[in-house]
Amino acid sequence: MNIALALSPLLVVGIGALLLMLAEAFSTNPSRDLAGTGGTGGLALGATTVLFTSAAFACTVWMVGVENVGDVSAVAPWLILDRFTLFFDITLCLGGGLASLLAGGYLLEHRIDRGEFYALILFATFGAMMLAAAGDALTLFLGLETMSIGAYAMTAFRRASARSAEGALKYFLLGSFAAALLIYGFALIYGATGHTDLAGIGASARSAGGRSPMFIVGALLVLVGMVFKVSAVPFHAWAPDAYEGAPTPATAFMAVAVKAGAFAMLLRVLVLALGDAGWTSWASGWPPVVATLCVLTMTVANVIAGRQESVKRMLAYSSIAHAGYLLLGVTAMMQNPAQGIASVLFYLLAYTASTAGAFGALILCGSFEREAVSYEDLAGIGKRHPAPALAFSLFLVSLAGIPPTAGFFAKWFIFKAAIEGGLYWLAIIGFVNSVIGAYYYLRVLVFMYMREPAAGAEFARPMRSGYVTAALLVSAILVLALGLTPTRYLDLAIGAATFGNG
Amino acid sequence: MTLVTVYSYACAAFALAGALSVVIAKNPIRSAMGLLLLILSIAGLFLALDAQFLATIQLIVYAGAIVILFLFVIMLLGPHDETPTDRKGLVARVFGGGLFALAGLGVLSAVARVSASARPMPVPSVPATFGGVDAFGSVLFSSALVPFELSSALLMVAVVGAIAVARGRQGARTLSRGEREVLASPFVPDVETHHSGVFSHEIQLGEGHAASPAKVAASTGKGGA
Repeated sequence: MNIALALSPLLVVGIGALLLMLAEAFSTNPSRDLAGTGGTGGLALGATTVLFTSAAFACTVWMVGVENVGDVSAVAPWLILDRFTLFFDITLCLGGGLASLLAGGYLLEHRIDRGEFYALILFATFGAMMLAAAGDALTLFLGLETMSIGAYAMTAFRRASARSAEGALKYFLLGSFAAALLIYGFALIYGATGHTDLAGIGASARSAGGRSPMFIVGALLVLVGMVFKVSAVPFHAWAPDAYEGAPTPATAFMAVAVKAGAFAMLLRVLVLALGDAGWTSWASGWPPVVATLCVLTMTVANVIAGRQESVKRMLAYSSIAHAGYLLLGVTAMMQNPAQGIASVLFYLLAYTASTAGAFGALILCGSFEREAVSYEDLAGIGKRHPAPALAFSLFLVSLAGIPPTAGFFAKWFIFKAAIEGGLYWLAIIGFVNSVIGAYYYLRVLVFMYMREPAAGAEFARPMRSGYVTAALLVSAILVLALGLTPTRYLDLAIGAATFGNG
Repeated sequence: MTLVTVYSYACAAFALAGALSVVIAKNPIRSAMGLLLLILSIAGLFLALDAQFLATIQLIVYAGAIVILFLFVIMLLGPHDETPTDRKGLVARVFGGGLFALAGLGVLSAVARVSASARPMPVPSVPATFGGVDAFGSVLFSSALVPFELSSALLMVAVVGAIAVARGRQGARTLSRGEREVLASPFVPDVETHHSGVFSHEIQLGEGHAASPAKVAASTGKGGA
């Protein structure tokens, strides 16, 4: 066995993306019109197959044991191949695969199905997987940029739409700025410690040199660059516009895969580079900073989300609020790193299935004539079209954190980690926030089942698509499986919660 | 103060002046020239760090290719002397700028304080071949092979993304109704308050906003043939 099997999740996605691009370039589909649209349905299937194959490879390597598949130190310190990486590979491939299934239905319905979208999804997922495996500032930055540039381009995919272009430009400018801050932070840290690999930075941080002003400023800048990507308040300004302007499959991808990749980076840096006793203590480390961001993110996002008139924008704010709950789990790492990481991993898996499903249901409720956007668009859809409404309800209930769905146990484990870490106040604020959150999720249910569209008003009609239905089925099975047998998946998350292969 | 120190500070000052003139200049050509000054100064800084190869690459790629490309684009679009002034959100912008300047000053003072007090970083002795093409290449293809290979994914996604965004312009005629509505309005109103009932108006397709079929056919004919 050599290193290729350990790297196989990455290799499958990378090679698959190149093959799909070739297939797209050489396909001669007569149904294709001049603008290059039409007949890319097979690509959606191809992209999904590639991503799920990669997830299957990750599962295989997990079961064989990543320490048995070859000398993983061959790629050290650039890439770290451990169970943490594999868990993220599976989560990211799942998110990317669901997004490409959604794209297969959405892009065709809305006449923007150009093959580049699938290449972008694959490369962006590749970047996110690189980010999850990164053990050095250089590979971390490469992964971050690969993921982000893919996301920028996907946001701008419907270029003729003013809102898509606006969201993409905001995202691009602010994202580049955040990347510059991150790089500047790592440059200062390199100046203070002489290391770019995270483990080396961590070793220096333990010694006296790790408390110099230069190192502290560098760490702060790196932290800002990272929380920008997870869209924590007050670095969230780009998120609602980008999420709303992007084609909905791209929104789903950003909400699940980009967020998961950013959290992988956050966990790695906080544990490897800033994981010593001084930096993880409440008095002299990052926990108060992350806790403040966490409270701000949860509260601001939930309050604003309740006031939205657009369901898509509400889901955008909801994904910011979920970043807040996740930051609660990150803060809980200060006492017990393994438990904090495990709760974040489980939450990300549950959140990926629920959010991708919710955006998918929103796609399914609209069609080319009229996309389902506002609450009024969904009025009475539960009676006219029960199946999409039922799916939407399941995912919203999961996002709200009501049993027996995945979202309930995800929140449960996060709050449990926080309480056992002694963060009672944070857990209480988180709980109050999830009650506020339930209001706007359930409001959608009220509109779907208890309202009728105003007389003479137009309403959205659901589209038909096998791809979207398949994505909803996969997400629904996962949401129920995680909700009914949570301990199995939590055990996997706990297994992934230690870095390295010790 | 040795000669190298003086040289480094001079380069840094020029770089700062160049960066400032990029931002401040009203004429885009002056901005491009400021960028050129910045790039040349950074190449000078690379020289002071014994990185001759990087300095050369900086000159060839950035000064030689990218700035020239910028100038071409500016010339093609026609340089306007004055950028239109925009007073919207002036308070927020001044506040944001001030806050950022304060934060920047804080960082600067912290860095200055530590560099004044702390012992200097142990600088590893540099072998004679450091910074040349040989040394650069051997690092790139041996110890740093993994990030070098991974950077190909970054370049690829950038190329595909550029194509995706450029081709997206042709789709104006195939927008859904809500999208056409947004396009037809003279400017997009505040997004926060935009949603209630916006789709109930009549659709008006402005001439300038939607690409005419002939235009689309012509542009795809060029690209696709």
